[in-house]
Parts: sequence; C-alpha cells; structure tokens
Amino acid sequence: MAAVIERDSKGSRSSFAKIVNDERNRSIFYQILVFGVLGWACWFLFTNTTANLEARGMSSGFDFLGSTAGFSIAWSVIPYDPTDTYGYVYLVGIINTLMVSLLAIVLTTILGFIVGVLRLSHNWLISTIAAWYVEIFRNTPLLLQILFWYLAVFSVLPRPKQSIDLGAMGIFQLNNRGLYFPEPLPDDPFWMTMVAVLVAIAVVYFLAIWAKRRQLATGERFPVLWTSLGILFGLPIFVYLVTGSPLEWSIPVLKGFNFQGGTVLPPSFLALFLALVIYHASYIAENVRAGILSVSHGQTEASSSLGLKPGWTLRLIIIPQAMRAIMPPLISTWMTVVKNSSLAIAIGYPDLVAVYMQTSLNQSGHAIEIVAMVMVFYSTVSLTISAGMNYYNERVQLKER
Amino acid sequence: MASVDSPAGDVIVFAPKASKPPPPATVGVLGWFRENLFYSWFSTATTVAVLYLLYLTGAALYQWGIADAVWEAESRRQCLDTSPNGACWAGIITWFNGIIYGRFPHDEQWRVNLGFILLFLWMAPFWFPRLKGKIGIGIMVVALYPFLGGYLFSGGERGWFMQIMVTLAITGFINSWLHVILSVVTGRTLAEWIVDLTGFTDKHERLHKWPRLGFAAIIFAIVYFSLRNWTLLAVETNLWGGLFLTLVIAGVAIVTALPGGIVLALARRSHMPVVRVSSIAFIELFRSVPLITVLFMAVTMMPLFLPPDVQLNKLVQVIIGVCLFAAAYMAEVVRGGLQAVPNGQYEAAKAMGLTYWKSMNLIVLPQALKLMIPNIVGNFIGLLKDTTLVSIIGLYDMLGMLKATGQNPIWIGLHTEPLMFGAFVYFVLCFAMSQYSQSLERKLKTTL
Repeated sequence: MAAVIERDSKGSRSSFAKIVNDERNRSIFYQILVFGVLGWACWFLFTNTTANLEARGMSSGFDFLGSTAGFSIAWSVIPYDPTDTYGYVYLVGIINTLMVSLLAIVLTTILGFIVGVLRLSHNWLISTIAAWYVEIFRNTPLLLQILFWYLAVFSVLPRPKQSIDLGAMGIFQLNNRGLYFPEPLPDDPFWMTMVAVLVAIAVVYFLAIWAKRRQLATGERFPVLWTSLGILFGLPIFVYLVTGSPLEWSIPVLKGFNFQGGTVLPPSFLALFLALVIYHASYIAENVRAGILSVSHGQTEASSSLGLKPGWTLRLIIIPQAMRAIMPPLISTWMTVVKNSSLAIAIGYPDLVAVYMQTSLNQSGHAIEIVAMVMVFYSTVSLTISAGMNYYNERVQLKER
Repeated sequence: MASVDSPAGDVIVFAPKASKPPPPATVGVLGWFRENLFYSWFSTATTVAVLYLLYLTGAALYQWGIADAVWEAESRRQCLDTSPNGACWAGIITWFNGIIYGRFPHDEQWRVNLGFILLFLWMAPFWFPRLKGKIGIGIMVVALYPFLGGYLFSGGERGWFMQIMVTLAITGFINSWLHVILSVVTGRTLAEWIVDLTGFTDKHERLHKWPRLGFAAIIFAIVYFSLRNWTLLAVETNLWGGLFLTLVIAGVAIVTALPGGIVLALARRSHMPVVRVSSIAFIELFRSVPLITVLFMAVTMMPLFLPPDVQLNKLVQVIIGVCLFAAAYMAEVVRGGLQAVPNGQYEAAKAMGLTYWKSMNLIVLPQALKLMIPNIVGNFIGLLKDTTLVSIIGLYDMLGMLKATGQNPIWIGLHTEPLMFGAFVYFVLCFAMSQYSQSLERKLKTTL
C-alpha cells in the first residue's frame, strides 16, 4: 500500500494522517481485523456445533473407533469381518482406495504417454484419432463415464455360466460378478523367492550406479538393460526352482452357478478402474504432448548433427528435457486420480468415502470425527505427493548461471 | 543477375529456365495422402488397419444407434421386442422433458426458458464489436441477473427486498438494451442522448450523472408499478432438476469462483502473515480433499455448524460447498497468473504511486487474467463436469435424471442410451467452451 502523504492547511504533516497512512500500521490493523473475523467465525461455528451436538444427544470423541462396526463390506483387499472395529474399517477403506488408485495411476500413465506420443504421430489418421480420444474423454464428466462402464458394460455382462474367457486359456473369466483370475497360494519356502526379488532389485540398483560411474570415467558402456533384466528375472526364478517351486495357483472353476477358487475383482472395481484410467489418460496425453513440443527443435537438430540416431535422440535428448515439463502436471494428475477414486461411492465400490464417510458415519453418528479422519487421509496423500514433487522439481530445475 | 562478357564482347544475360513442375505425387490431394498417410510401408499398414477398425466401429455404431434403433415405444419391453439389438431412443424421447427440466411443473417451464433467454440476451452485447459500456453491462448482469433469474425459477411471494431487486434487474436489462440499440442505430450511447435531451451538455461533466440516474429512476418506477402485483407460482427447489439444475449450479459456481479466487490468490501473496496463512490454509484444505467429501460435509455437517433456527435447503448447502471448492481451485489458477506477470510491472505500478488496489486492478490483474484464460476456462469446464457429483447426494441434476431413467419401472435397465445422450450433451457444452476459449486466446494473442 503506497502511503499517501497528506498535509494539513499549514503544510506540516498531520500526525493522524501519518499514523493512518503508515503502511505498517495499516497492515497490523488489517491483520487484527482478519484475525478477529476468523476468530469470531470459528467461535460461532464451535458454539453452534457443541450446542447442536448436545441438543441431539450425540457424543463426541474417538472412543467409537474401538467398537464393532457390524456391517459387511462388499469387497476388500485385506480380510474383513462385520465383527471388526470402526478403526479397522478405516484401514480397509484406505487400502481399498489406495489399491484402485495406485493400479489406475500406473496404467493411466502408460496409456497417457502412448496417446500423447501418438498425438504427435506423423500419420495424420493416428494423430487425429488420438486428438479425438483426448477431446472426447476430457470433455465428458468422469462420473458419467464411471456409470457408463458400470451400468452399460460390466453390469450387462453374461452370467457366470456364459463367462467371457479372456485369453482363451480358461483362467481369466469375465462375467457379471466380475473378473475371475488365478490366485497364487504361496507355500512356506516361497519367502526365499521374495527375498531373491529384493536382492535382485538391490543388485540392479548398484549395478546401474557402477555402470554410470564407469562410463563417466572411462567412456565404456555396459549393457545395463539386458544385465538388469537377466538379474531381475533370473535370480528369483533360480531361487524359486531350487527351493522346489513352492507356489500353487488356485484357478477359478465353474461349479454350479458360480466360480470356485481363484480370486475376483468385482464389476464396481473394474468400472471405476477403467474409467479412471481412460479419463485421466486424456489429461496425461495432453501434458506429454505439450512437454515434448516444449523441447526446442534446435535440440533435435543439434543431436543429429552430433551423429546420434533418431532413437537415441529421443531417449537421451528429448525425453529427459521433456520430463522436466511433464512431471509437475503428471504428479498433480496422480493426485487427482486418488481424489477422484472417491467417486466409487456412486457405483458401490467400497472405498474410504463409501465405507467410512457414508456407512460408518450414518451408523455411528460421529460426523465430525469421521469427516476429519477422512480429510486427514486425503491431505496426507496430497501433501506426501506434493512433497515428492517439490523434491523432484528442485533436482531437475535448470541450473542457470 | 550475373552477367558475363563473352569473348565476342556482347553481354550474355543469365536467364534461369522455368522450374519444372513438382512430381504429381507430391502435390494436391494425392501428395497430401502420400505425405500424411502412406509415407512408408509401416505407415501404410497402420493406416489401412486403423481405417478397417474405424469402419468396423462405425458400422456397429450405425447398426445399433440408427439402423436397428427404436424411436417409438411405450416401454423398454416393447423396445426389446421390436429390436433386441438396437438402441431404444424412445426412452430418451419420453424422458426428454425430465432430462432438461427435472420435475419442474410443465406449465411453469416457460419461466426456465425465459430466464435463460433473458440471460443470453443480456450477455449478447458482449459479442457486439465496438460497443461502449460493456463492462457496465457485465457488472449489471453479474450483480442483478441472479435476482431476476432466481425469482423466475423459484417464484412465490416477493418480500420488499426481492421486489426491489427484481425491479432493479428489469430496469437494468431495459437500460442495457436501450443503450445497445441506440448505440448501434444512432452511433451515440444512451447516456449521451439523455444528457443531450435534458440540456445538460454544457454543464460540468460531474453533473451528467443526474439526468442518467433520473432516467433510470423513471424506468424503475414504471417497472415497479406495472409489476407490483405480478407473482409467479412458487416452485420448490426440490422440483428443480435436469440440465436446468446443472446449469444453475455450474453458473453460480462459475460466477462466484472468479472473484473468490482472485481474493484468495491476492491474500495468498499478501505480505501480511495472518492473511496469508489463513488463505493458504483454506486453499490447501479444499484442494487436498475430493469434492464429494466437501459435498457430504455441506449436507451432513452444515446443519451442525449453524444455529438451530437457520434452515438451509439442500440445494443452497450444495451450492455453498461447490462455490468454496471452486474458489480454492480458481485461487491457484489466478496465483499462477499473478506469478507470471513480470516483477517490473508491479514495480512500475508502485513507482507511479498507484495504491495497492489500483495497481492490482489496473496493471496486474488484467495481465494475469489474460494470461490465464485457457486455465480459467479449463477450470470452468471442470466445474461443469463436477456438478454431476451432486447426483450422488440426491439432487436430480442431468446425470441424476439420466440415472433415474433406467430406474423407472417402465424403462428399467435403460442405461446405455441415456448415458450416451448425456455424454453427448456434456461434450457439446464443454467442447464449445474450450473452443471458445481457444478463439479468445488467439484474439487476445496471449503468449507467455
């Protein structure tokens, strides 16, 4: 606020105007005002809420977390029983939400990159189709798409007896109860295979660092990709075979009216997952396209004049630079995926909002505590993701001198 | 032009031959095809394969949606009996009125139409080139139309406040259009005409507002006395629905989001810690949670927060929730714009001695908002799409009505066609908005 200096008739500064127009005084005054209004609003809400809670005879506090929930949940990643507590329901909801969001994030990123690159294809037909994909799915509401997949696709699938056999091997069965697929049943020594996987990942990690150092020091290249793949697959498979193949598969088999064995993803999960993937891929595709276009053409020309092959140009020059522009919106799209997974409630997929903010809230009546807990979960997720984004941004920022 | 002296002494002028025409395969339609569709064996293969797939999809869609479709039927059963594999558009046709107006009484639906026509007419002057006073009209639309529209839609007895506001709105509308017609026909604005006719031309400019206000007051009085006893049948908000409700919620949210977002964004960039921290807390809180939780809160918790004697209806609760949410998102867009305005602009404004609000209003915000047009419109599109969420908490917006179609006993199970129709309507609305924003962007030539 620029201070306007007022003078009274005698030409000397009036002391009152000086105080009023001093920027510091003004800012203190405004802050006290804002603080007062906000404080009053909080006090108003607080007194109303306590009065209302008292009038309705509702208790507050987190004691209800220990009491039995008593309702059943249609599908959950971790085993759940109606005798479990509300606290456990919270956990079930969180894991269901994370399950569908994480799977969707992985697939939508892949699909988005593919569509984004196709959008830049030299073939007019392909790039036009990719552009229409983006326009169509970005300009229709996600909820409508979810309902479409659920009501118009997965709910009208045939009954288990006429299941659609995906892959024609009889082990992936799609019907109106969901997607049935084999479930691994690990025997005791299977943990050694898991350890082998971890060891392989660690070895590959250090191998990559070593190879890069050696290349920087001597210029010799090491076939990291093929060695890594070999280690990643070879070591676990070797351990698995040596320990006597300790893994059995439970394969879904039609018995009577339904499948026995295997495991199932319900139609609500499939619909939500597919809609999230397809919808957000259109956003990611636009980001990818913009990111690639943001790398100036001079980079491509410079790299070809250095004699790099087109594939190398893409991999070593364009993509690393494009990633700098792609990553921030990509990560915020991931955040949106997690938040939008809450639309599950419309089709009955038991995510956190559905099992906790709706069913648990209606049953226990602890509205404030439950809403607060749900908000804490979503805020934690988004703060974690944005912390990761800030870290990444700092690392890849152009170091200008 | 190179010229060389030949040994004989005469000058030979170099004249290039006319260039040969390009090979026929590289120009025209054929050339375009070769360059964009069949430039290598791989591209040819993909083009052919994709064309074949497109043909299959298109043929299947045509077969289902047009060739085998049923346009007239009493029920879904009849549709299925007539053509089991075709679309049942008869259901959409029967439910069309509901999808557009919800359960708004049939005899009163003209009010909805009139409300939207008036809004459109009032905003139409924006697209007139070289018209003065567009900003004034815009302010009037935003400030007064909600009362007029609100009364047209909800009806009932008017209290003294609504009486005045509705009259003011109609006065504003009449004034706006008189202004537009006079400006277009005579080339002089309404204000100039009034000042001239009342003989105020040679008086000091400061006095010119009086005849104008007097004119407005006369129109106000005429409207007031002619519409004094005019009442409309009350239509409860729980009867509102369909596309109409969608547009009402989205419209209110869009109109409040921008000012709310600007205030929040300025507060977030303020040097005053209390203001900044409260703004950050508000923005981050609303941005980190899904809209559906905000809506749930609005419906289940707002009654707890308010004194027991304050009763809000569900629509108002939902609109408040959507508006708070929209403002938080808009704040981040506006902040992006504020950050993109070069620092020199802020400093220049300050050096000119402009106060904070003047420098924001005259220098910074116009540039920031212009830069952010694509994002702002993108945000509006997102809002329009997000209004579908109100169907989850039991309002019958367009998506709610589309779902209700398939739950109706006569049309039970009819889901695909209503959802396709709804997708088409939403697509048209959103796509038109995004295309408009792109044309606006080109017109204003905003480049970062």
